[in-house]
Amino acid sequence: MIVFRSVCKTYKLGLLKKTTLAVDDLSISIPTGSVFGLVGPNGAGKSTTIRMLLNLIRPDRGEVLIDDSSVSDGSFLRDVGYLPENPYLYDHLTLRELLQFAGRSCGLSATVIAQRTQELTEQTGIAHALKRRLRTFSKGMRQRAGLCFALLHDPSLVILDEPMSGLDPLGRKMVCDLILDLKQQGKTVFFCSHILSDTERLCDQIAILHQGRLVHEFDSDDLAEFRSGERCLEDEFVAAVGQDTVQKEMPS
Amino acid sequence: MAGQRSKWLWLLIVLLLPVYAQLHTGSWAQRAELRQSQSVGFLVPSQFSRVLACGYKGLLADYQFLRILTFFGDRSLNQQPPTAEDWDYFRDSIDVITDLDPWFYDPYVLTEGLLTWDAGRIEEANALLAKGVRYRTNDWRLPYYIGFNNFFFLKDHAAGAEYIMKAARLPGSPSYLPTLAARLAYYGGKSQTAVLFLKQMLAENSDERLARRLQLRLLALERAAQIEDALQCFRHDQQRDVVKLSELVSSGYLESLPEDPYGGRWGILKNGRVFSTSKFVEKKKTDVE
Amino acid sequence: MMQRVWALALVTCKEGIRDRSLYGIFLFALFVLGLNIAVAGFFMRDLGKVTVDMNLAALSFAGLLLVFFIAINLMAKDIDKKTIHLVLSKPFSRGEYIWGKYVGLLLVILFAQAVLLLFSCATIASVHAMYPNYFAGFSWLVFFVAVFFVYLQQALLCAIVVFFSAITSTSFITLIFSMASYIVGISLEEVVFYLRSQAATQEVVASAALQRTLEVVSWLVPNFAAFDLKLEAAHGLALDWTRLGVTCGYGVMYIVILLLLASLIFKRREFN
Repeated sequence: MIVFRSVCKTYKLGLLKKTTLAVDDLSISIPTGSVFGLVGPNGAGKSTTIRMLLNLIRPDRGEVLIDDSSVSDGSFLRDVGYLPENPYLYDHLTLRELLQFAGRSCGLSATVIAQRTQELTEQTGIAHALKRRLRTFSKGMRQRAGLCFALLHDPSLVILDEPMSGLDPLGRKMVCDLILDLKQQGKTVFFCSHILSDTERLCDQIAILHQGRLVHEFDSDDLAEFRSGERCLEDEFVAAVGQDTVQKEMPS
Repeated sequence: MAGQRSKWLWLLIVLLLPVYAQLHTGSWAQRAELRQSQSVGFLVPSQFSRVLACGYKGLLADYQFLRILTFFGDRSLNQQPPTAEDWDYFRDSIDVITDLDPWFYDPYVLTEGLLTWDAGRIEEANALLAKGVRYRTNDWRLPYYIGFNNFFFLKDHAAGAEYIMKAARLPGSPSYLPTLAARLAYYGGKSQTAVLFLKQMLAENSDERLARRLQLRLLALERAAQIEDALQCFRHDQQRDVVKLSELVSSGYLESLPEDPYGGRWGILKNGRVFSTSKFVEKKKTDVE
Repeated sequence: MMQRVWALALVTCKEGIRDRSLYGIFLFALFVLGLNIAVAGFFMRDLGKVTVDMNLAALSFAGLLLVFFIAINLMAKDIDKKTIHLVLSKPFSRGEYIWGKYVGLLLVILFAQAVLLLFSCATIASVHAMYPNYFAGFSWLVFFVAVFFVYLQQALLCAIVVFFSAITSTSFITLIFSMASYIVGISLEEVVFYLRSQAATQEVVASAALQRTLEVVSWLVPNFAAFDLKLEAAHGLALDWTRLGVTCGYGVMYIVILLLLASLIFKRREFN
């Protein structure tokens, strides 16, 4: 169970400490074992939300809880796999060394690491590149390597920031299958994406974030209607974001 | 079109190259002239250079030493006698070098080789050597140099004997040192003493520029010693001193008067020591009468 | 915990060793060593001293380049390119990250210094063979002790780099601050003792404020000059082992305290 409880975050930028509101009074709860999709236009605060979940940055107000304990103690990380947006991995390492590092840092034994490495690289289709340095990888391959890095220790919570970006249609399908597979195994998946069609296909729950605020939430019933074609996520997304923009501009 | 343009560029480069070559040679020639006319180089006082060395004191000392070597190397190559200013620069440089690395042996050798014979600044040389004695506590050569300077140049036999005995007590010193002190005290300022000393210095020196100077001086001193020996025989046989040195040849004590390699003329001092009008200093032209 | 620190250290070390700029630094050091062989003949007597001077200078200067370019780059790239997000999403505490990175940097420098030391020994041995009569004061033991202290000095500097990387956001500021720390640290002793001798011999007392400032600075910045055994090695002077022990302990303590401070500050830091 992941809970965001009235979370606010402002950034202070530059010497003049100009403040920008990144996330404003966000409250979400995600049950264990579900797939949660966070969508929103660029700069909506999606990455900020994810970084607060990972304790990379701290909320100014409110709290982020995983299974009823605050993320700030860091003990939950053993069970988390994270794929950042455009992951930059160590240039001069080979893929095998990178995955070894991921395994060792989670305390896995060498045999488990070797086994998981084989499985995951075959599943993501980069098994042929195990001995290559990461600097020679294309964007798509890097994305796949990042996925392997995130999933190596078989975490129960998987956080994916734009997992489809830079991937060809085959890659997108691979990621979709991977997420469905994780769902099957009863893992919690938290991801954000621009690609609405994939989101609606995969998620149990979707939240739309705009200018740091939660503007709309869809539960599994809504999603069933999207999938059956009765409603269209894209239209409702545009409507929700558009309405929010109008509301904001009204007072001025 | 692009090919045409790069052809022009090549042509421009080919045209500019000779100009560059001309300026390059000109610049180097200018520098050479400047270095000759420069009386002294710059020197950073040791309080600052010890800080500025940023932990590379030894290396800075090596570099500074190479500079002073080339400076005096240039001077002797161009047959320019060093001026008093040059010698000040030399002394200060050695001072800075030995402040940076007081254990460095080479600057002390150079001091003994140049600052005494060529510049006649015996006290200054002794002061520098004394610094070496403080740090290189196990090196017999430095007190030996000071002892020699006291005997030969300053005629201070007491101080000279003290230093030579000090040298004799240090490990590795030659066994003849204790008797040498006695001989030095007896001969005092005679040329034979200096011959012995120079031979020892030459034996442990590998720098060719310094060696050439020392060899020239050794040759001159050997000849002076030869004349002194003949004088002594003459005095012993005839019970009187010669009036002119040519008497030694005419009375058969010398086959001929040897030539001063520095180009001077020999003479006799009142104490019986032979000297040369060249004062054993290299000159471009001997204009001494 | 040790396992995680070691895993990160290994990754950092591999990343550093495979960096191309390492070859540039090697080339530079080899050039100095070659210069040594060429220049040795210009000196008259103390060839051993000059050789040791140049070898230690090559090792320590290459070490400085290593710290100022490769180490700073390894620290800064993590934060600039957000690789640190990946690392911190694994069960690393912030403190473990700092120590892992630091040990990794030490490994990079250890590797580079070991390679250079090999070349350096070969250089000394060949100059020794060329001019066997002029190595009277030379001692391999003192030389190796001096090399160890050069390494310790770089370990200190690495800790400073890690510290500044932990508190600043740009690598350029880290570079400036750690360079300034080095320059102050290496020259501080000379200035302090000079002022003291001035105060003792002449009646002029340097202003009390200046003395006070220097006193404070000497607590903040490590005295790098204490780790400089180049002159001792050059002349094969006798080593005072208690002095070396104290210096060694002083350095290690400084490193530990600085890194603990760095992890304390790093805990509070946010990564956008």
